[in-house]
Order: sequence, then C-alpha cells, then structure tokens
Amino acid sequence: MILGDLLDARVRGPGGEHLGTVVDVRLALETLRGDDPSPDDPDREARALSAQVRRRDRVGRARVVGILVSPRSGAPLLGYERTGVTAPWPVPQLVRRRHRGTFLVPWEDVAAVGPGEVRLAAGYRQEDAALP
Amino acid sequence: MKKLLGVALGILTAIGGFVDIGDLVTNAVVGSRFGLSLVWVVVVGVVGICLFASMSGRVAAVSGRATFEIIRERLGPRAAGANLAASFAINLLTLTAEVGGIALALHLASSVEPRLWIPVAALAVWLVLWRVKFEVMENVAGLLGLLLVGFGVALFLLGPDWGELVRQAVPPSPPATEHVATYWYYAVALFGAAMTPYEVFFFSSGAVEEGWTAKDLAQNRVNVLVGFPLGGLLSVAIAACAAVVLLPAGIEVSSLSQIVLPVAQAGGTLLLAVVIVGIVAATFGAALETALSSGYTLAQYLGWSWGKFRRPARAARFHLTMVVALLLAVGILMTSVDPVTVTEMSVVFSAVALPLTYVPILLVANDPEYMGEHVNGRVTNALGMVYLVIVVVAAVAAIPLMIATGAGS
Amino acid sequence: MSRESSSGAGVRVVDARLHLLSRQVLDVDGEPVTTVDDLELVAADARDDDAPRDAAPGEPAELGAILTGPVLVTRLLGGRPPASRWERVPWRDVGHVGTALELTVRADSLDVHWPEGWLREHVVGRIPGGRHDPEEAS
Repeated sequence: MILGDLLDARVRGPGGEHLGTVVDVRLALETLRGDDPSPDDPDREARALSAQVRRRDRVGRARVVGILVSPRSGAPLLGYERTGVTAPWPVPQLVRRRHRGTFLVPWEDVAAVGPGEVRLAAGYRQEDAALP
Repeated sequence: MKKLLGVALGILTAIGGFVDIGDLVTNAVVGSRFGLSLVWVVVVGVVGICLFASMSGRVAAVSGRATFEIIRERLGPRAAGANLAASFAINLLTLTAEVGGIALALHLASSVEPRLWIPVAALAVWLVLWRVKFEVMENVAGLLGLLLVGFGVALFLLGPDWGELVRQAVPPSPPATEHVATYWYYAVALFGAAMTPYEVFFFSSGAVEEGWTAKDLAQNRVNVLVGFPLGGLLSVAIAACAAVVLLPAGIEVSSLSQIVLPVAQAGGTLLLAVVIVGIVAATFGAALETALSSGYTLAQYLGWSWGKFRRPARAARFHLTMVVALLLAVGILMTSVDPVTVTEMSVVFSAVALPLTYVPILLVANDPEYMGEHVNGRVTNALGMVYLVIVVVAAVAAIPLMIATGAGS
Repeated sequence: MSRESSSGAGVRVVDARLHLLSRQVLDVDGEPVTTVDDLELVAADARDDDAPRDAAPGEPAELGAILTGPVLVTRLLGGRPPASRWERVPWRDVGHVGTALELTVRADSLDVHWPEGWLREHVVGRIPGGRHDPEEAS
C-alpha cells in the first residue's frame, strides 16, 4: 500500500454512506535519543531557529495512527484546520471554516482500502483532528 | 571597515542587478508613449519586489529551503507541477530576451550582426555558469550594471522641463492620444517587469548558495530596501529619457538603438559607450540569473542536487538543465524573432504567473514550523495581503488586456 | 519493536501530507537526493531483516520507504506504477525530519541516485572543469 492509495480517496461508513475524503494520514514518529550530527558547525544555532528545525532527535519507526477525513474535498489544505496558525489573515480563517468538521479515524477502524475508496469498520471512532 | 565595504558592495550590486532587458525595454517603450504617467507603477512594483524578495530571502536563510522547494511542498506535486511548467516557460522566454539583449548591445557597439553575437553571448554565459564562483559572478555583473546610471546623467544633460515631467507623473495623466486599455496594459507590463518571478527564484536560491543564516538577515534587508529602490530610480531615468526625447519626436521604441538614442543625443559617444557597457553587463547578469533560475526551479521541484557552490559533477542534472535552457534560447533567437518583442511578451506573462510564486512564500513566511520567531510581522502581513490583491488583479487582467489592445499596438 | 524498547524517547505526531510529502530529502552531507513523492506503508510487525509485508487496513502499519521516480508521474496523472518500478529509500535510513528529511547515508549509496550518477560519470564529469571546485581559486 502507498500513501497515494489513501489520499483523496472517498470515505464510506460501514453502511456505505459517504462521509468525506481522506485529506491526510497521521503518523507517530518514534524519536530516539537526540544525537548531534554536526557539533562543529559554528552557525548551528543561527541555522536552526524554529523548534521544528532545531529538533535534532533522530527519528525511528513511523507508525500509522489513523486517517484524517474532511467532509469537504478539493483545495490544497495547508493544514490550517489542524494547527493554530492565524496569519496571514484571513487565509487560515477561511481554510479552517471550509474544512470545519475534519476528524481523525484510528487506523484500527479502517476496514478496507479499495481503488479510490476507503471503508470504515462498524463502530468506527471520530477523534479530534488537531495536531498536538 | 570590512563590514561596511560588504554592505556597500551588497547595495551596489543590488542596484546594478535590478535593471534587466525587461525593465530597459518596457520603461523606454512606456516613456516614449506615455511620458512619466506610469511612474507610479514602477513605485508599486519596486515596493512589491522589496517585500517579496526580502520575504523569500528570509525564508531561505532561516529554513534553508529555496523558493521552489517551498512551492512544491505547499502546493503539492500537481499544482506545483503546473507552476513549474509555467515558470520554466516564462523563464526561458526571459532568458531568450536577455541573451538577445546582450547580442543587440554588442551589435550597437560593434556593428557586427546580432545573429553572430548570439552564440558567442550564450557560450560566454555558459562559461561563467560553469566556472566562475557565485559571489564573483554576482558582484562583477552588478557593479558593471551600475554604468546604466548613464541614463540618469543623460537626463540631466538633456536639461528637461522638470515641472512638465512632474506634471506627467502626479497625478498620472496619460496622453489623450492613447486608449485607456493600452494604458493599463502597459501598467501590467511594467509591474511584471519590476516583479519578475525569476528574481525571487534567483534571490532565494542565491541565499542558499551563499550560505546565509539568520545572522545575515539584517544585511539582506538593507541590500533589498536600499538597493532595489535605487535600481528602480534607474528604471525611472530610462523612462524619463524616452519621455523627454522620444515622446515629443513621436518615436515609438521598437529597437535597442532607439532606447539609447537620448543618451547619444545628450552625452555623445563617450556616454553612449558607458551606457552600452552597462546594458551588456545588466543583460549578461540577468541572463546568468535566468539560466540559473531554470536550473533552480526544475532541480528544486524534483529534489535534484543543485547549486553553483558544488562541483558541476555533483550537480550534474542541474548543470545539464542550464545548458539545455541556453541552447533552447539560442534556438529561439536563431529563428530571427525580435528580442524586443520576446521581452514584451516575457514581462506580461511574468505578471500572469506571479501569484503562483507569491502565495506559497507569503504562507510559509507565516509558518512557525519553518520560521520560528522570524515569521512575518503585522506590518509585513498587512502589506503582503495588499500586494496579494494587486498581484492577483494584475495576473487576471493581463491576458484580457493583451487581447483587447492587440499587445499594446 | 526492538528499536522502540531501546530508545526510551518520546513520540512525535506528524501528518504525512503536511510534514513529509513533497519535502526535500538530503543525504548525510546535506546534498539533495530527491523529494518525497510518495510513501510506502508496510505491516508493522516485520523485523528489520525480513522482507517487509504490505500493510493491511486496520492492522498495525508503519512507513517502509520513501518512494520516488515513477510514482511522481502517476501522482500527477493518476493510476499507480507496479511495485517493481518503485524507487525506494528505506525509511530506516531517515535520520531527521525537519523542513527537509535528512538521511543517515550518502546519496551515492542509494539506488535512486542512478540518474545523477550516470550523468556525472558519462556527461558532466567528462566536460573539462566538470570536477572543478568553484569555491577554490581557479
């Protein structure tokens, strides 16, 4: 299976009802003990400014957590409905509004993946889509 | 002292590197037809490129990612692929115009047929790309490009009626003989000439080439905020020369010899020689930048190794892309298409493609995962959104205006 | 899950399209290798030395490899290439995930590197000056 099989696939409930589209796949990256690959780089602090860039932990396995389902399809998402970014006004606000109702379905609750379609298991859970 | 020299050098190369064949031709054409009534567009364009270039430079310095990597990451393979196709085509058109511009300028200086100069110019561009260190390349082309200040000197020597020039500019009063659609068509063209996307591809990738970090952000800001407006002043001088000499004489610019006519008239052979060297340097510098941009965009979209700071063999596909782009440009020019026409096309299409590049940069400059504490401030964002509207309006209006006015004729 | 037990470190949650897809992949020296065109999912119970099994819906799954090359064409035009034509960078070679994915191996050691390597050996490296370091005085 490749990620392309899941992304933009239609999502159907156990009874075949249309629920939306797969907009993303959530993963849990194992972070191993942080090692520093370039301790002699004098510009390291200046180079690595944001927390995301500065985070030098080695990553290990990447477990599939679940699929993110939006009731709306289309339009590049930019992830604004899952993050707290508010600038540049009004772009994040508009995207968030459009993709209101996006939810996370745990991978265990995915019953079948066919061409362009994902079917959820009976009693599937809908969880909060926000990124921690 | 050394630091001060570095700042001065940065500013000077930013000035000299600002004007390219697009600015040269469009400003002269506009000056000869509309006087200074479109100067406000140059101002809007210069503020826009300052905003856009400093934002993309900041993103590159802080995140280490150049503009087309950002475009691919934000827009996904499909939309970014469409953007790549458009950007690459426009870039090729601009490269063609610049190489043609070098050949035309050398033709003015030597009276050897431009067609013989075209392969020579392209070969020289390739040799510099192949061999010369990035910083040397940028500084030499930028400093020699400063000779375009000859247009400013010519303007003073012409001793124009300054009051009349100001009256044309504020409030903008287009000549009654021109149709209003034509006026707006050239407004879009002038805007496209000032805010060409290749400048941003080059600027952000150059930041990576030179290994900028957040420590270099202040220098970056000074180069852009001082250098570009002064470069814009050169653009205005070119338009003003045309407005003083060509407009009253009823000459519509269609060749490079007409663009430099006011210079020859005001300053004789010496000043003309100075300006021609300036034009060769400016178009040569821009040919380097556009050729590099063709490599940058394709390599960054596909994740290839790129950069002039690497040995060519360690960025093989990048160097090959630039060779192919140069060969295509020579091929187009050899069909004896008029480089001035190619230039006019390239600036209008630049305006059409601009939003595709501008929007991802604006969004990423606000993304704390990329930028940390260096995200856009409120003022930058307010200005950024104003320009988003301007950029989109210009892009949407460009093609209809082009059709309605028969490309400004 | 041998590695998980030995690490004792935390977990970082990312969304594949948002944080991984279309990002630049750099080798251990910072040289660009490719972009993340797609990702392969495999069953999570496989050990490092086994041939990975394809992921099944609902059963524990993890990333097996970064995919590149032909999958980009099919992501653009639709469809999917046969598994035999996937060009892989194993996920175990990924060291860091930031604004780019950094590998722990050199580009030259990867299968996906062949077009660059071929052009280097047969075309660009053969042109005079092709192996000249531009940062040195010429």
